[in-house]
Amino acid sequence: MRRTGIDGVFLLPAFLVFTIFLAYPVLSSFYYSMTDWNGLSPTIDFIGLDNFRKLAHDKDVWKGLQNTLVIALLVTVLQNVIGLLLALGLQKTGFVQRLLRAWYLLPALLSPLAIGYIWSYMYNPQFGVINTILEFVGLSGWAQDWLGDRRLAIYSVIAANLWQWVAFSMIIYVAGLQSIPRDMYEAADIDGAGAFSRFKNITFPLVAPAFTVNIVVTMIVGLKLFDIIFIMTNGGPGGSTENLAVMLYRQAFALNRMGYANAIALLMFAMILVFSLVQIALLRRREVEY
Amino acid sequence: MILRRLLTPLGLAFWAMIVAIPFYLVVTMSLKSPADLQYGPLKWPETLKFSNYWTAWQQANMGQAFLNSILITGVSLILIVVFSSMAAYPLARRTDRWSGALYVYFLAGIMVPFQLAMIPLYKLLNGLNLIGKYPGAIAVYIATGIPFAVFLYVSFFKTVPRELEESAQIDGSGPFRTFWKILFPLVKPITSTVVIIKSLFIWNDFFIPLLFLQSKAMRNIPLSLYSFTSEYTNNWVLIFAAVVIGSLPLIALFLALQKHFIQGIASGAVKG
Repeated sequence: MRRTGIDGVFLLPAFLVFTIFLAYPVLSSFYYSMTDWNGLSPTIDFIGLDNFRKLAHDKDVWKGLQNTLVIALLVTVLQNVIGLLLALGLQKTGFVQRLLRAWYLLPALLSPLAIGYIWSYMYNPQFGVINTILEFVGLSGWAQDWLGDRRLAIYSVIAANLWQWVAFSMIIYVAGLQSIPRDMYEAADIDGAGAFSRFKNITFPLVAPAFTVNIVVTMIVGLKLFDIIFIMTNGGPGGSTENLAVMLYRQAFALNRMGYANAIALLMFAMILVFSLVQIALLRRREVEY
Repeated sequence: MILRRLLTPLGLAFWAMIVAIPFYLVVTMSLKSPADLQYGPLKWPETLKFSNYWTAWQQANMGQAFLNSILITGVSLILIVVFSSMAAYPLARRTDRWSGALYVYFLAGIMVPFQLAMIPLYKLLNGLNLIGKYPGAIAVYIATGIPFAVFLYVSFFKTVPRELEESAQIDGSGPFRTFWKILFPLVKPITSTVVIIKSLFIWNDFFIPLLFLQSKAMRNIPLSLYSFTSEYTNNWVLIFAAVVIGSLPLIALFLALQKHFIQGIASGAVKG
């Protein structure tokens, strides 16, 4: 009995803060998604599944869903491919390797707001860095309006995000690679295994846990991406970079459609839930097979 | 084989360049005078105009923003660590159904995107009269920080042998004393992981202050940077000066504690 009381004291602060400021809001969002609340009026009308019906016929939402998936997919693939390549180059523990790892990680210390400003300037069509460099090396024909062009903007935003976060994935891969015992490679060398065979049969299976973590984390981050888009394009031009996260912010705080925005949030949550569960199931199975 | 030997350093050097160019841009731009701007973005400034930093500092009211960021990040971190480590201890020790359920309850918070809580939270904080005040944002940071921290602490406490606390109890030490004097120092690696990952997030966070701390006096550093887009025409020199000022604390901290940072990120991610 006394034990339970003490446990309660240990648990209570975390339980209260978590329940009041996260669990309760999350649960009540199911209710708000079935209302027409506009954020200002004191009355909140229950309208059943109307928001979800509207959602299914809203062209913007479908476009936003598509943008969300493109962003998440490219963020996941690029960050993991480049992150793993960099990690393979830097897995040894020498001075140069440590220096480069730290150097690559610097962008991750900046706020997304700083990233937004920096890359807006990099991409600027008149005085931006990228077009200036292209001109300098004689490729002025490649110069683009990187953030103003509907077809390009989404890739430009993804590239800026990659610049910031790729080293995060790299660090996790390096930790995975360094945990592989040396003698496995020595045994492979004795057996006369080539570089590719070494990677396929030793390195890749043994970094599988790091792989699972990286894929799931980057996917979730990609599906939720907000700040950098908000700063760089605010969803534009013409909605070409508007994903669900940016859209629901606009619906809630620019258009005062809180109920509708909450329905979009639920759609986003459902997507994240399904994707992460499927991925974890698939990737864990691969880990076990080896 | 020769090709491969060349390819690795070339690739690494290439990415080092890609990282370097934007940093070069920020630093040189932040020191330019208006006359320098016409020579293109990559030209080294004729004269280094250090007074830009002072102008940016004053215009964006960065002194206040620094105090706000330090206060918000500091209080949030301390309370995340205290609340989560305390809650994790009984969760790691008890094996009954209630503890298991409570653990899952906390953990479910990792899966939920913040956007789902955003609108009801706005209403809740509005009702509690906490919009535009420190405690509102801090409470949100703690609530969203708890799931990850509880998870890390629980997995670590499970590896701590029970004999330690039992012998302390026999020596007449109460449960709170045992926890803070004996167990808490043991979980220092987890505490440093939590502090590093969460300080990166909270110090740089823009979204929660944008929602809940809009008023001028309450702005954190990212919001004070944001004021340049909303209040002044894009004065890039001042924006980049402010970016340099706002980024320096974390970069300095990183350079001083590099090893801990990298270990913290690696272990935080692998376990989280």
